[in-house]
Amino acid sequence: MIQFRVGWLAGMLGVHRNTVGNWIKSGALAARPVAGKRYAIEKELFIRFLFSQGIEPKTVDQITGTSETLPPLKGKSQSKTLKVEKEVPMSDKIVGSVMVVGGGIASIQASLDLADAGYFVHLVEKRPGIGGRMSQLDKTFPTNDCAM
Amino acid sequence: MNIELLTLSEVVDVNGQAGNFTVTVRKNPRYIDMDKCIACGICAEKCPKLVKDDYNLGLSRRKAAYIQYGQTIPLKYAIDPETCIFIQKGKGKCLACEKFCPTGAINFKDREQIVTLNVGSVILSPGHKPFDPSVFDFYGYGRIPDVVTGMEYERMLSPGGPLHGHLEQPSNGKTPQNIAWLQCVGSRNTNKSDNGYCSSVCCMYAMKQALITETHIPGGGRQTIFFMDMRCHGKEFELYYNYAKDKNIQFMRARPHTIEAGPGGVGVKMLYSTEDGRKVEEQFDMAVLSIGLEAPRDALDLAEKTGIRLTPYRFAETGDFNPVASSKAGIYIGGSFMGPMNIPSAVAHASSAAACAAADLVSARGTLTRKKTYPPEADLAGQAPKIGVFVCSCGINIAQHVDVTALTEYAKTLPFVAYAENSLFSCSTDAQGMMGKIVKEKGLNRVVIAACSPRTHEPLFQDTLKELGINGYLVEMANIRNQNSWVHQKQPEKATQKAKDQVRMAVAKAGRIFPLAQMEVPVVPRAMVIGGGVTGMTAALKLGDQGYDTVLIEKSDRLGGNAWQLRTTARGEPVRPMLEALIAKVKGHRRIEVLTTARITSATGSVGNFTSDVEADGEVRTFSYGIAVLATGAAESVPVEYLYGQDDRVVTHLQFDRLIADDPDRTASLASAVFIQCVGSRDENRPYCSRLCCTHSVKAAVDLKTQKPDMAVFVLYRDMRTYGLNEDLYKKAREMGVLFIRYDLENKPQVSRDGDRLVVRVTDPVINRKIAIDTDLLVLAAAVVPNDVADLVSIYRCATNQDGFLNEAHPKLRPVDMAADGLFVAGIGGFPKPLEESISQAQAAASRASVILSRDVMYLDAIKSHVTEHCDGCAVCLDACPYQAISIIAYAENGRTAKKVETDKALCKGCGICQAACPKGGILVHGFTIDQLQAQVYAALDLPN
Repeated sequence: MIQFRVGWLAGMLGVHRNTVGNWIKSGALAARPVAGKRYAIEKELFIRFLFSQGIEPKTVDQITGTSETLPPLKGKSQSKTLKVEKEVPMSDKIVGSVMVVGGGIASIQASLDLADAGYFVHLVEKRPGIGGRMSQLDKTFPTNDCAM
Repeated sequence: MNIELLTLSEVVDVNGQAGNFTVTVRKNPRYIDMDKCIACGICAEKCPKLVKDDYNLGLSRRKAAYIQYGQTIPLKYAIDPETCIFIQKGKGKCLACEKFCPTGAINFKDREQIVTLNVGSVILSPGHKPFDPSVFDFYGYGRIPDVVTGMEYERMLSPGGPLHGHLEQPSNGKTPQNIAWLQCVGSRNTNKSDNGYCSSVCCMYAMKQALITETHIPGGGRQTIFFMDMRCHGKEFELYYNYAKDKNIQFMRARPHTIEAGPGGVGVKMLYSTEDGRKVEEQFDMAVLSIGLEAPRDALDLAEKTGIRLTPYRFAETGDFNPVASSKAGIYIGGSFMGPMNIPSAVAHASSAAACAAADLVSARGTLTRKKTYPPEADLAGQAPKIGVFVCSCGINIAQHVDVTALTEYAKTLPFVAYAENSLFSCSTDAQGMMGKIVKEKGLNRVVIAACSPRTHEPLFQDTLKELGINGYLVEMANIRNQNSWVHQKQPEKATQKAKDQVRMAVAKAGRIFPLAQMEVPVVPRAMVIGGGVTGMTAALKLGDQGYDTVLIEKSDRLGGNAWQLRTTARGEPVRPMLEALIAKVKGHRRIEVLTTARITSATGSVGNFTSDVEADGEVRTFSYGIAVLATGAAESVPVEYLYGQDDRVVTHLQFDRLIADDPDRTASLASAVFIQCVGSRDENRPYCSRLCCTHSVKAAVDLKTQKPDMAVFVLYRDMRTYGLNEDLYKKAREMGVLFIRYDLENKPQVSRDGDRLVVRVTDPVINRKIAIDTDLLVLAAAVVPNDVADLVSIYRCATNQDGFLNEAHPKLRPVDMAADGLFVAGIGGFPKPLEESISQAQAAASRASVILSRDVMYLDAIKSHVTEHCDGCAVCLDACPYQAISIIAYAENGRTAKKVETDKALCKGCGICQAACPKGGILVHGFTIDQLQAQVYAALDLPN
């Protein structure tokens, strides 16, 4: 988990603080607010985001390497910060269902996996029936099985 | 039951965040009441409006009231508002469907509805769009009748298609003898199509079509494929390519620039240049354009509504280290929306998306799903059989060729038959309801369904009986459709006679069937993951995240495997930070136990309940677990040619990765570098393609050129297989000045030392000259060889292919399941693949595994072998059993030791080989006992039993 302040990250990346704010609002940068006007994000997600923005690996290393200690926690102990983090609501309640968009072989597989593992699935398909492109194929190699 | 199908629906808006989204969906009107429609097809028959059938790509016509195809799900008709006469022209017009519909299902008052859904995660898998080649005026598509697309040709070949599988030339209706395929139409092309990427599937589908075509044409005809590189980079693909070459499919390395109509508008004239520069004009009867895949038409729209980012090609943007995560948390991408991919990759990718979508919602698992419950089974012991026969017309599928009324009357005359009736669709919901009523009313205790295949429909009828409190195994099916009406369309009388025979046989057997009990196996909610590379760790992490205890076994002393030696992915994301983060996560996960220097020494039990001994650091521990993921991995082979090992300037890919990472100054100081592809792949010893080396070499070449733009970099290749979006990298390399020279297996490059110089000699086919390259570095794309899994194969009784890669259950539809239930395969132990695809498979395996682990008990099919008192322990069946489900035991009887066999119900698949092998009726298979089969045979011959 990496924590940062908007202004600090903006400074590191050389962008306006509103840009960082917009990234967070739009969900592009999937960080969530924690105590002390800071945001927290999974390290992996954060690195991915930075790469997607075309940030040089060196800078990324610098940011991820320093952010865990920066910005300074001003006398607060590490454990206390964690406690505060827990008290902030993550999101509303977690819903045990998934929407799958599309009715082809991929959607069908995803839906079956989820439904069989205990999640309700809403499959949204724009045509009157499911089956997608694969239903239009004659045979499939290498076994030359019927695609249907 | 836990899937709601929202057909004719579109996403309007997505709000909220991971774990809790609010989605608005528009349901367009179907104009047919799905509850009332019995799919009889009368509306379509009576509908006067003919329109082009988009399912057959406009090659045939359908009505405005239609179903997409015969097996469509849900099997309910729809009215197309764009073409329906009543909807278009209004009052007083047509309404033929409404007039004739026998169930009053037509509802023109149907209006669009806005539905709001509350969901935790979203998976976007809208698929792709086949490329439309009419933008290429020089190919004449749409203008020359005998030029068709690959997708259209697929429909033309299909027995269910517009030509019923009888291939015809569109211009004159004759059987084409000489067909050409044109590859890369709308792929690897930025002139007029903007699709610089490779569509990855067209080489294989063209080859498949060519091979199938051969069987459709008397005499075989002649098939020619025009290609740039044959890209057969998947499991067994290269074998298929070799098979196609053996079958005399012509492969022509050329890219025709123009297609003209043949004389009199019949056939085509193909204009192209051969590799040696000759200009050729060749006549063909037909040309098939192997069109590529594009992002779906509504990609932009979908991205806007969901807030995800797209790539410049309008595919969904994902990361290499989570290849299903979109740019927005909680929204995942499945299948070819991420980029062109073939069916097994799409299936694995979708499962992978399901794993991630589920991992976000673990705390809410099972809160919205329902489980089916059945009333207790009535005891039928001692009751004489009372059989009900239900004859299905299957719309007109059966009734058209078999006299179903006569068949029903005949059934009533058979012994023990208490009731017989005919219905339009026995499988429809209302027919099932009726059946339930009748079974209760008449007190029936056996049911015979004369309809279609038990493979597809038996579970449905079993379910109906179970809901009535009757054992599901008291249903017997006679397949009078697939085995009768479909094959005897020209002899209705004989077909009816055969149907009577089939029903008589089924009734004879039904009189002798008895209730069977399904065995329950409690599921141990623990997973075993074998292999601690990135694949194994990812699978373990996803399983752990879903709340299942996981044991991760690694044979070496550290986690990470091959990834330690990799520098970046093809798109340039560094591997090391991801790897270190992954290892830290796995080690710190409270659900995951990591055992290094460990190996598994035994395995007993089966799906849901395995037990194994694991030897770790000299200590043996026993684990019980529900499933196992085999992520055994592979290694780089050691080349035996090109002076490898004799000159330290000759290195392999992994050595090169280390070199450029550890000593960038050395690589930047090189004057030249040469890459040789297919070193140990695609040859006699290893006939497969190692899939990842082309991209790896091209990426390395680009890195060298970036370090030092004036370095002379050569890539010597056979077919450049930078499939999918990796093609961009190939293009970039050429733009940067990397020289690509093709060689043949018969004419391999020669590497020699000339004093201090390292010289590579190769024949350039374009200039047709031998050239010699002085090089400072020679990088060999060494083949990927699977790790030795012989011990696991014998422990788990699973299988590898001829190259030593673990086999999956089905090459298309079950890419990570193994044939033995409860075992899964992921990563490069199954076939070589780059890191991102391995991660996708690992997550897919976790998803498939959680389907089993989420259950409390597994129900096994009751069709199992059973040892009778006639068994004397002769053990003939032991060798016959293909599943090693039978063992021999000794027991005391009257003071003597006697022997008999015992079957492991969990391993038995009910195949019946033991029953056939047994000379004394000592072992039989429930549901297919000798007694039951004999009754059927006697009935077939119409003999008294």
